[in-house]
Amino acid sequence: MVAAAPKRLLLLIRHSPYGSSLARASLDVALAAAAFDQPVTLLFAGDGVLQLLPEQDTHARGVKNIGRLLASLPLYGIEQVYVDAQAVAHYQFALDTAPLKAVPLDSGQISEMFRNHDQLLGF
Amino acid sequence: MIYSLLVMSSPASGQCATTAAQFARAVLARGHSIKRVFFLDKGTSSGSAMAVFPQDEADRLAPWVELAEQHQVELILCIASALKYGMLDATEAQRREKPAATVHPAFSVSGLGQLVEAASAADRLITFGG
Amino acid sequence: MNVILHTLNASPASSACSDCLRLLASGDALLLLGDGVYAALAGSADRARLDASGAAVYVLDTDAAAAGVLSRVDGVTIIDIDGFVALTEQCSRQLAWY
Repeated sequence: MVAAAPKRLLLLIRHSPYGSSLARASLDVALAAAAFDQPVTLLFAGDGVLQLLPEQDTHARGVKNIGRLLASLPLYGIEQVYVDAQAVAHYQFALDTAPLKAVPLDSGQISEMFRNHDQLLGF
Repeated sequence: MIYSLLVMSSPASGQCATTAAQFARAVLARGHSIKRVFFLDKGTSSGSAMAVFPQDEADRLAPWVELAEQHQVELILCIASALKYGMLDATEAQRREKPAATVHPAFSVSGLGQLVEAASAADRLITFGG
Repeated sequence: MNVILHTLNASPASSACSDCLRLLASGDALLLLGDGVYAALAGSADRARLDASGAAVYVLDTDAAAAGVLSRVDGVTIIDIDGFVALTEQCSRQLAWY
């Protein structure tokens, strides 16, 4: 179904976990790509870094827990995960307790990352 | 070249969903082909057979229907998003015991694998959001 | 061609706009559409940032016209939907900011 030479897909994730349905949609796309053996890289930036906050508890809210969904991604082979260091600094939290291991990148490294992928999907 | 489009913009808010339909039309006019248009999140509302827009405004549905019927462009609504937005085709309406289908027959409802495949098969993947 | 087409559909006051301008590379193409067209308003601080970015800046004609900014975006290139497709022919990748 999928072509022989897989395209490298980068998902730029810029929206907060519960302010819209975009966070969930972007992670569903990542999971679908992984299910079809398409290499996929996640890059969290802007309010998207807020998805990486630990201790998300959506039990009383009755929606899917994005933090828990993120924690499951390595099980599906999604391990290329990066984060805009400037956005993390803006919100002043440490990544070491994030539900998913994400490597911080500076602006130059992010621009470089855009160029290292074949297709870019902005969420 | 082969294009695939991902539309996440709502037809009821902002201009981007309309831009996406015009873009698709212009892609074909310039001699390219479109593998698939995939609608995700709020974008799935573009497939509504029920939405009614003011008569003095541009028709949001007709440009897509024309692309499908006259140019055989495949229009797919993400099923997970579509269900949340009340976008049910006849099969889903029956399966979920809902009183009516709400998706125009020019559109199909399917899974995200269709997006992955469309991206993989395309020389250009163009996203419309916001 | 290694140039990326960035499409910005968000107000110049948004983080989408500031992130886009920070992370695009000099020589990239930037198409403003929807509320993104206001970033091109001549004389504004946002416009100064656009000009300093080193990107080739375009605005979508229909959205600039609707916004009432067509006569206030001197120096950026106004394109129609056909021009938008032409940009995607030249740039192998597009990234949507919104």
